[in-house]
Amino acid sequence: MSSRKKVLLKVIILGDSGVGKTSLMNQFVNKKFSNQYKATIGADFLTKEVIVDDRIVTMQIWDTAGQERFQSLGVAFYRGADCCVLVFDVTAPNTFKSLESWRDEFLIQASPRDPDNFPFVILGNKVDLENRAVSAKRAQQWCQSKNDIPYFETSAKEAVNVELAFQTIARNALAQETEAELYNEFPDQIKLNANDNGRNRDGDNCAC
Amino acid sequence: MKTFTKNCPEAALVSARVLAAEGAPATRSASGVERRPSAPRPPLNKRGSGSLLSQSPPQSNSILLLLLHRYLWIRIALFERQLSKIIEHLVNNASRYYERDALVADPDYGSILSSLLVGPCALEYSKAKAPACFWTDPPADELVQRHRMSAGTTTPPSVRRPILNFRRSLNASSEDSGAVSSASGNTSSSTAKDYVESLHQNSRATLLYGKNNVRVQPKDVEEPMPGYLSLHQTAAGLVIKWTPNQLMNGYAESEGVDKSVYWAMSLQVCVWEVVYVHVHRSQASDALILVGQDGVQRPPIQFPKGGHLLSFLSNLETGLLPHGQLDPPLWSQRGSGKVFGRGKIRRRPMPSLCESGESEEPDWDEAAGDYVFRIVNNALTDREAIRHSLLERVIQSPPRTPRRPLASTSTTSSDSSTMSVDCPPPSVNGIVATPANNFVEQAASIELVCSTMRRQIISRAFYGWLAYCRHLSTVRTHLSGLVHPNIICREGTENGLTAELWNSMMDNKGAVTDKDEVYRVVYYGGVQHDIRREVWPYLLGYYEFGSTAEERTEQDAAYRRQYETTMSEWLCVEAIVRQRDREATAASIARLSEASGKPRPEASEANEVFEDDCSVISDNPPIVSPEPSENEQKKPESKPVLSRAPSIDEVENIEMDSEEKGKDDVTLNGETETSDRDIADDSFTELEEDDEDVYAKSVIENPEMRRESIAEIKRLAEGIVQKSEGRGLLCSVDSANININGNDKVDENQTTRQEQQHTSVIITNPSVDLVPSGSPASGGTTVNVSPARSPLGVVREESQSAGASFDTLEPSDARPDNRSDCVSPASSNGGVYSNELVESFALNLHRIEKDVQRCDRNYPFFNDENLDKLRNIMCTYVWEHLETGYMQGMCDLAAPLLVVVREEAAAHALFTQLMTRARDNFPSGQAMDAHFADMRSLIQILDCELYELMHAHGDYTHFYFCYRWFLLDFKRELLYQDVFSAWELIWSARYVSSEHMVLFLALALLETYRDVILANAMDFTDIIKFFNEMAERHDAAAVLSLARDLVLQVQTLIENK
Repeated sequence: MSSRKKVLLKVIILGDSGVGKTSLMNQFVNKKFSNQYKATIGADFLTKEVIVDDRIVTMQIWDTAGQERFQSLGVAFYRGADCCVLVFDVTAPNTFKSLESWRDEFLIQASPRDPDNFPFVILGNKVDLENRAVSAKRAQQWCQSKNDIPYFETSAKEAVNVELAFQTIARNALAQETEAELYNEFPDQIKLNANDNGRNRDGDNCAC
Repeated sequence: MKTFTKNCPEAALVSARVLAAEGAPATRSASGVERRPSAPRPPLNKRGSGSLLSQSPPQSNSILLLLLHRYLWIRIALFERQLSKIIEHLVNNASRYYERDALVADPDYGSILSSLLVGPCALEYSKAKAPACFWTDPPADELVQRHRMSAGTTTPPSVRRPILNFRRSLNASSEDSGAVSSASGNTSSSTAKDYVESLHQNSRATLLYGKNNVRVQPKDVEEPMPGYLSLHQTAAGLVIKWTPNQLMNGYAESEGVDKSVYWAMSLQVCVWEVVYVHVHRSQASDALILVGQDGVQRPPIQFPKGGHLLSFLSNLETGLLPHGQLDPPLWSQRGSGKVFGRGKIRRRPMPSLCESGESEEPDWDEAAGDYVFRIVNNALTDREAIRHSLLERVIQSPPRTPRRPLASTSTTSSDSSTMSVDCPPPSVNGIVATPANNFVEQAASIELVCSTMRRQIISRAFYGWLAYCRHLSTVRTHLSGLVHPNIICREGTENGLTAELWNSMMDNKGAVTDKDEVYRVVYYGGVQHDIRREVWPYLLGYYEFGSTAEERTEQDAAYRRQYETTMSEWLCVEAIVRQRDREATAASIARLSEASGKPRPEASEANEVFEDDCSVISDNPPIVSPEPSENEQKKPESKPVLSRAPSIDEVENIEMDSEEKGKDDVTLNGETETSDRDIADDSFTELEEDDEDVYAKSVIENPEMRRESIAEIKRLAEGIVQKSEGRGLLCSVDSANININGNDKVDENQTTRQEQQHTSVIITNPSVDLVPSGSPASGGTTVNVSPARSPLGVVREESQSAGASFDTLEPSDARPDNRSDCVSPASSNGGVYSNELVESFALNLHRIEKDVQRCDRNYPFFNDENLDKLRNIMCTYVWEHLETGYMQGMCDLAAPLLVVVREEAAAHALFTQLMTRARDNFPSGQAMDAHFADMRSLIQILDCELYELMHAHGDYTHFYFCYRWFLLDFKRELLYQDVFSAWELIWSARYVSSEHMVLFLALALLETYRDVILANAMDFTDIIKFFNEMAERHDAAAVLSLARDLVLQVQTLIENK
C-alpha cells in the first residue's frame, strides 16, 4: 500500500491534565467548544483533512490522558508520530514546568529517528482567562532554548490561534515525512498502480 | 467538456456523472469543468509517454482543490471505462478543441495516447476502493447504519472451531531454507573459538538467557548430557543454542581430545522455524521440546528444577516481541511473576470450586503437567497469504459444533497435513547434520525412502494435530480460570430484584440471609432502582448478609464517625495547601506583571482571581473545633462535617472586620510551593530592587518579633473567635501559624495550654493573612506571618509602594525543622504533617479538583453541592491511600455510587469496597494486562474469525480499545441507568458465574459489532475511534444479556471438554 499516496500525519497532544488538550482538538476538528468534556481516559483521536502547500493530508490527532501515570499506556500511541503538540495552561505555572518532562518522555518513548529535529509545537492555552500566570515571554524563551520550537498562544474556548497552530503542526509534521513522493505534485487520484493495488482490497465499492 | 458531449455519446455519460458526483459544490465544480474547453490543455512535455500522469500540467502552485475538480472527469471516465473513447474522440477532432501544439493534436502522440488508454479502460475500477474513500473515515454510527442496511441478517459469532493451523505449512513453503545457519558443525579450533565466543554477548547477537547444566540427550547417546543453553537475539531472529559441557570447558584445545563428536551433538535452533513449544513438567525435571515447522521434534531440553524453564520461557517471550509472541502468553501472577497457566493455579488451592467438574479432573491434571505454546510470527510478509488460504479453509471445512472439538478439528488437520506434504519440509532440523547421515540417505533404496517418507508424513501429521489439540487445551485451561464451573440456572429471575422480593427476603430483624439467591436474581435481572440504595452495600460487600437492621445502623454510624475524623485530618492539610497556592499564584502574578512591565492587576481583578479560588473551598465542611477535647470526638454528632461552615469569604469578612477597615486592601500572601520557589525567588529578586524598604523589614525578622507576632495573632484570633461564635468556627491551620508555633513547640509534650490555644485558634483563611506585613496601612505591624518557606510573595492591590514579596526566612535560617515539619495543631491528633505529605496531598488535591469539576457536568445531579460531596469522597479516599494517590478515573467510579446512595460517608464506604477490586486496573496494578491477555484467549476460542482479523493487523493484540472499559467498568460506555445494571451484573457475577465479568461484557460489546468490524476490516485505530464514538449509545440490555450468554458458552465449552 505504500504506493498509495495517502498522507496520514499522526499528531500526539500531550500535557498535564486539565490544560485543554481535548478542547483544543475538538475546536480544531469540529469547530466547537464544550465545557462538558470529561477527563480523558485511555486515548482517543480525531481525524481531519487539511491542505498544506496544495497537498491534502489527513491529520490523525491523538488526545491522551493527562495524568503522567497513564503515560505508560500512551507509549503504544506515540509510536509513529509525526509531530508532538505540548500544551500548557497559561494560568497554571506548573503545567508549563512539566513541558520539559513531557517532551523528554515523548522522545524516550516514541524514539523518533532524529530526536533533535523531531517537530514539536508548544501551545499556551486558555489565554482567554484573566488570571494569567505564565508570560508569553517566558514561554517564548523556553521554546527558543529548545531548538526553536514554534509557540502559539491559544484559546480553545474562543478559537484563538487554534487553526493557525494546527496548520503549523500539519506543515511541520509533513516536513518530517521525507518520502520521495513529496516531489510528486498530485496526490493519488489518477495513478494507475495505486488503483491496481486497490483492487486487491475487498471493501466498499466506491464509484465516485 | 460539455461542448463536445454533443458529439460524443460517451462523453455525455461521463459529464452527467461528473455533475452528479459533484453535487453540492456545484458552482465551483461547474467552473472547474467548464474551464476545460476554454483553457486548452497546455502542451505536454515532449517526453510525454502515454501515461496518464504526464497529462497533468506541471504547474506546482495551482490550487489543489481546483485540480481535483479539473481532473475529476478523467477519473470518472476511467471508472466508466470510457476514457479511451473520449480521448480518441478528442484526438480525432483535435483541431476543434486544442491548440496546434498540444499533444493530443499531434497525429502520432495523440493516437498513441488514446490506444494506450484502451488497456486501463478495460479494467474494472469501480470495485476498487477508490482513493477518495480513504480520505474520509466514516463516523461510527454511519458504519453501523451501513451495516444494518447492507447485511439483512447478522452472522452469528458462532463458536467456530479455530481452524487447524495451516500457518505452519505456509511458513514452511515460504521459508527460504537458505536462511538456516548450520555453521556450527565446524571442527577446526579457530571456528570453535569463534563459536564459543558467539555464545557470549557480542555485536551481532544479544545474549538474552544463559544457563549451564541443562541436559539434552542427543542422538546416539544413552543418557542426557549437561551443557550450556543460551538464547540469542540476532538480526534474523532468536536463536537457541545448546553446547555440551565438554566444549565449553575452555576452547584452548589443550587436551587434544577429538571434540568433533561433541560438535555434532551441539544444538542450534532458530526460533523462527519453531512452531510449537511443548513443556512437560514432572517431578524430576522440566523438559522443553521444540517442534519445528516441518513437524520434527528437537531432542528434549531438560532444565533443572526451580523455575529455570519458566525464566527461559519468559525470556523467550520477551525476545519474540514485537514481531512474534507466545500463544497463549505466559500469565503474570502478582508476587510470583510469570506462571504457565492460570487454570492450574486456581484449581489447586480451590478444589471446592471444581467439585462439579469432577469428571474432568484427570484431564486437567494431565494438562497441568503439559503445556503447549505456539510461537506466532506476525511478520508482514505472509499475512496476506494466510488470510487468503484462511478463506479457502473456511469454505472447505464442514460446519462444526462447539461440543465436539476434537472430532471437528480432525478434518482440517488432515487438510493441513496434506499441505505440509505438498511443500517438502526444509531439510534442516536444527540438529547439525553430519555428512555421514546424508550419505546413508542417498545409499538407501527408493523404496525405503518412500516408506520412510510415508511414515514421516503420517507421524508428522499426527504430531501436528496432537500439538494443536494440546495447544488449544492449554488455551482452554486459561479460560477455565475465568468462569465458575457450575452453571446456575436463571429461572424466575425475569423481574430482577424488586422491592417486594427484597422485603420478602428480609426477616423481622431486617436481616437478609439468602445471599446466593440475591446474587442469582441480581445477576439475571438486576435491581429495581428504588432499592439500589439498600442493596448495593450488600453487593459490594460493605454490609454482611445476615446482619440485622440495627447492626447496620450502628455500622453506618461508626463509619460516619471515622469518615469525619479522616476528613478533619485532610481538611487541615488542605488549608495549608490553599495557603501555599495562593502565595504561589500571587507570586507568579507579581512576577508576570513585573516581567511584562504592565501595571499591577487592578484590585478588582485580583480579587476576582482569588475569589475564584475561594469559591472552590468555600463549601468545604469546615472543621472542626480544635480544642484539646477533640480527641474525644465531642463534635456534634449530627452532621458536623456536612454542615456548611462559614465560607472562607465569610471568614474573610470577619477577619477584615477585626482589623482596621483601612486595611481592606487585602494582602495576598504568597508563599510558594517548593516547586515554585524559583519563580518566587525570581520575583523576590525583582521586587527587591523595587522596594528595598520592604525587604529590609522582612529581613529583620527575629525571635522577638515572632513572639510579638504570636501575641498579635492570638489577640486577633480571639477577636475572630468571638465574632464567629456559634457559626461552626472554621479552624484550620495557617501555615504562618504553624511556623510560629512550630518554633515554640519543639517538645510537644510541653505544650502549654496557652500555646494550644494559639495553635488551635486559627484560622486559616489562606487569603487573609492576619498581617498584611509590609503594608503601611497595617499600622506598622511588621510581623510577617507566613514564613514557612523562604520566599513570600505579597501582592498589594492599591499600594504602589508595597505590594512586594518578602523573604522572611533566609535559607540559612536556624529553623530547619520548620521546613520539614508542618505542625498541624488543628488536627485532632495534633499531628505533625511532613512537608512531603503536604506536597503530595497538594498534588492530589489539585488533580481531584480538576477532575471533580468536569465529572459528568452534563448531568443535573452534579450541582455544586454534590460535586463537593464527590470531592470529599475522593480526598478522603486519597488521604487514606496516599501512597497510591489519586488516579484519573476514580471520580468516574465514585460518581454513580454517589448518585445511588446520595450520602457522602456511605458512598465513600462503597467506593472503598469497589476500589479493592478496581484498584488493580489502574496503572499501578497489573490487572489490565491480564485482562488484555484474557480477552485474547476468549476471542481466540469464541470467535476465530474476529481473532484472525485482529491477528492480521498485528498491532491489535494490545486491546487498548478496551482500556477505558476495564478501568471504569464501562461507566463511560453506557448511560447512567445502564451503568447501574452493568455494575450489578459485574458484582453479582463474582458469586454466580465469573469473577471476570468485565471480560465478558467487553466481549459482548465487541461481538455486538463484530460484523461491522469485520466488514470494514477495522484495524486498531479504527476500532478505538469506533468505540469512542459509540460510547453511551449501546443497547445495554442486549449487551448484558449477550455477556451472560457468553459466560454460559464458555462454561459449556469447558464442561464438554
